[in-house]
Amino acid sequence: MQRCNLTRLDVGFLEAVNMTAYDTLDNLKSAALSRVWAAGTSGELDAIETEYLGRKGELTQMLRSIGALPPDQRKDFGQALNLAKNQLAEAIARRRDELGDREISAALKNEAVDVTMPGRFFQIGGSHVLVDTLKKIKDIFIGLGYEIFESPEVELYDYNFAALNYPEEHPAQDEHMSFYITDDILLRTHTTAFQHRVMKNRKPPMRACTLGKCYRVDAVDATHGHTFHQVDCFAVGRGITMADLKGTLHTFASAMFGKNVDVRFRPDFFPFVEPGAEVAVTCTICDGRGCNVCKGSGWLELAGAGMIHPNVLEGAGIDSEEYTGFAFGFGVERMPMLMYGINDLRLFMDSDLRFLRQF
Amino acid sequence: MKLSINWLREYVDFDCSLHELAHALTMAGLEVEESRELLRSELVALGGEGVADDVVFDVKVTPNRGDWLSVLGVAREVGALLDTSFRSPAPEVAVISPEASDLIRIRIEATDLCRRYVGVVIRNVTIGESPGWMKDRLIAAGMRPINNVVDVTNYVMLELGQPLHAFDYRLIRGPEIIVRRARAGEMITSLDGIHRELHKDMLVIADSERAVAIAGIMGGVDSEISKQTQDILIESANFNNVGVRRTSKRLNMVTESSYRFERGVDPSITAVAARRATELVQDLAGGEVASGIVDVYHDPVGAMEVTVRPERANLVLGASIDPDEMASYLRRLGIDTRPRNGVLICNVPSYRPDVTREIDLIEEIGRIYGYDNIDVTLPSGASQGKDSPEGSFRERLRVILMSCGAQEVLTHSLVPSRFAEVAGLGAECVRMRNPLSEELDAMRAALTPNLLQVVARNQAFGTTNANVFEIGKIYRQTQNGIDERLSIAGAMVGSLWRSAWGLPEKGLDVDFFACKGLVESLLSALGISGVRFVEVQDEPMLHATRGAKIMVGDTSLGFFGEASPAAREALDVRGRPCVYELDFGSLMAATPELLSYTELPRYPALYRHVAVVVADGIRFGDVKQVVLESGQGKVEEVDLLDDYRGEQVGSGRRSLTVSMVFRSRERTLTDEEVNAVLEGIKGALQTRLAASFR
Repeated sequence: MQRCNLTRLDVGFLEAVNMTAYDTLDNLKSAALSRVWAAGTSGELDAIETEYLGRKGELTQMLRSIGALPPDQRKDFGQALNLAKNQLAEAIARRRDELGDREISAALKNEAVDVTMPGRFFQIGGSHVLVDTLKKIKDIFIGLGYEIFESPEVELYDYNFAALNYPEEHPAQDEHMSFYITDDILLRTHTTAFQHRVMKNRKPPMRACTLGKCYRVDAVDATHGHTFHQVDCFAVGRGITMADLKGTLHTFASAMFGKNVDVRFRPDFFPFVEPGAEVAVTCTICDGRGCNVCKGSGWLELAGAGMIHPNVLEGAGIDSEEYTGFAFGFGVERMPMLMYGINDLRLFMDSDLRFLRQF
Repeated sequence: MKLSINWLREYVDFDCSLHELAHALTMAGLEVEESRELLRSELVALGGEGVADDVVFDVKVTPNRGDWLSVLGVAREVGALLDTSFRSPAPEVAVISPEASDLIRIRIEATDLCRRYVGVVIRNVTIGESPGWMKDRLIAAGMRPINNVVDVTNYVMLELGQPLHAFDYRLIRGPEIIVRRARAGEMITSLDGIHRELHKDMLVIADSERAVAIAGIMGGVDSEISKQTQDILIESANFNNVGVRRTSKRLNMVTESSYRFERGVDPSITAVAARRATELVQDLAGGEVASGIVDVYHDPVGAMEVTVRPERANLVLGASIDPDEMASYLRRLGIDTRPRNGVLICNVPSYRPDVTREIDLIEEIGRIYGYDNIDVTLPSGASQGKDSPEGSFRERLRVILMSCGAQEVLTHSLVPSRFAEVAGLGAECVRMRNPLSEELDAMRAALTPNLLQVVARNQAFGTTNANVFEIGKIYRQTQNGIDERLSIAGAMVGSLWRSAWGLPEKGLDVDFFACKGLVESLLSALGISGVRFVEVQDEPMLHATRGAKIMVGDTSLGFFGEASPAAREALDVRGRPCVYELDFGSLMAATPELLSYTELPRYPALYRHVAVVVADGIRFGDVKQVVLESGQGKVEEVDLLDDYRGEQVGSGRRSLTVSMVFRSRERTLTDEEVNAVLEGIKGALQTRLAASFR
């Protein structure tokens, strides 16, 4: 390349200039470049750079000797000298990059790890699957305009039964075998017990919801327990109908199960509602075609529901002629059991971390 | 209840399939839980004759519909649902000698517990086996044939819903039958052979000397029908449902009879059932009706008039059913209905005591109309939903604790009462009057014992690292009743890492400070400031010298620390777990509603480390306080880098390496300024805490 540059100089000029200066430059540059290409470390390269281009470097020195040339030749030679310096600097930079890459990769090679060794696993926190289910339910009802109420588990017999239109000594109480603390105080057998507490302190229209533990005297096995969780909702207002109840449960079930399910109502008896209904939704496992879970019926029982009995409204001082309302309640454990195929109710409260960490 | 379809067909005609019938009944509220074929061979194997193949429906009768507890009652419902004809029973009885009151006189003393009593004496019966058809029916209904007379009483009960009892007439010291309350201490041996002491509130059937039956529940062995029986007294009576239920519960006896009486038996059927039984006894066991049918009925029950406004029915149901249509539904149910001035006047028969007001008729209209035919709408009007304040706060706490690596658990509120004692809360423990077992005799008074139990259980499963929390109710007996409140607690044990190879061993396992760090993280994330940690020696859950109370002002939010050896032993937990428990309400009250923004510092900070050597008894908190107080407002942060005890500082002394951050909010501090402040701090430490410096 440097030869080419020189050939550009015309013959007259070649004859005229001091040939020695050009030759010296040319030789110096060739030697420098071959040392650059041969340099094995960036330290070596630094030394070469200093030797030629440093303040006292050889090419730098040549620039100082330019004054010895005849004035008319100084410009041309100066140009040639600068060109040579630039070429050398460029070559050093290129070589430095090459050497740098090589050195870094060599260094990285020394730092190799065994990627199959175990990570220092963070023990991350996790939520309880049943509390998550309760939260999801709660959020759906908040979205439907319900206010969430806290409600006591240690409840008055009267609120658990009498205020809910349970006659004294009635077989309707047979499914509600209660744990008693005194004659008048028991552990609520259903979250429905909150109704009277809210109704007597509020004025219609109201939409209320509560969630929590309930207790019944029951032997413990895979599908029964003395403790379970329930959700109860009610709405009271002017012109609230059973069709509204159907729509509300349809909306809830569709949001809960994440697909548009059908809702089936059939008459059932709960003393605090009239008409009363048992609510089933399309089996979410088989989409209603019939499977083991729904025992071939295509339906899953979801909730007990109905129009609030006038006796309940009147007992709370609400005019049952002016206002109507609906109420429904359901168990919570069943939902994650269906969603995740959990086959034993006891797992929820046994607190085995191997179970809880799966969700 | 098991229902024979062959038997049902005697009372109602239907031509739909049994599948359709089961669906119709289920959708009307009488759930058919199972439909099972009962082949002749099976009936024979069960001791019947196998006259014909049958199908048995297992129906679930809701407690309000005692009228469905019979073939007749279901037939009536089928007639209404399918709008088809239904036959009322019309038994024919040949009475030989009417009104022979020398054979039987009936006196009802306890009129509140017995509305009606019908007695029939039949003489010269021949006790023997029942015919095959009757055995088949009884077997299909799940009963065991005994002899023709007893079988007749059971048969009529299943058919008409009226429980009956047959006495051996000659073993009764008559002629007077007295329906009275038992005498204190009165005894009877019931048909199941158990000698029972009766309570004075219980109703009995008595002769002149003693109780011969527990009314509505079971007869006595003294007057049992036997092979030798010649004359019988058939009882068909209407006993009060509450009375029968109380006695049944008290004696722990549930019989087919008590089951029906509890759910209400129609007082209009009493005499019909007596005649039906008499008819059958005469057919199957011969004999003659010697007494006539003696019927004592005070306070007779007639049809009850209830009105329903069609527009109200439509409003409640959200439907638009024509009033004439409504009237026809009700008539199909046997409710005599006529329109007047835009309302429907209904005469509700006595077999439907559950229908007493308009809403009950609306339900009947809805049932026959079909719940499936009701629209699906949403309530009109918007309404703002919201969580309870506790509910929203609980969600915040869950997120913070989970972010700290804690796993949420849910534990039982029913616990052994010894848990309360472990927590030193024995006096406040809420105990069950009827616990399921000794292990479930109380409500939890604190969460920490439960959480230590969770740790122990997981250790038994082989899970040695645990960091668990629960937000839940605790229950304490106070002078003003039972205090039920939310609590938030946790337990930690083992390593916070799941795999920690190659890390220095020290500091990996949970200790007091890890637990404190979690508590501090929680408080700081909630924006609670001004928290003080105070030593606590008397908390039974905590190690006597490794526990602290969490104070904000004068309020204690709760405690944390290493679990006490006693608690560890009581709950069978290994290692050195730490626990914390905070009162949810107090924590919520201490949490600022809105955090306000603090402007970021504009000037750089300067850092200094000082090794402060003090006597062992001096706490880091004391050092920190002196630093802050003597820092001329320039000390932004004081932290601890190391706590050293050993040769280099001499015994009885400790060296605390304290880091300090100096900053001014007004300008850049110079090295010289900071050094001057630091000298001041050192001076204060020297004078106030007798500190020296390394």
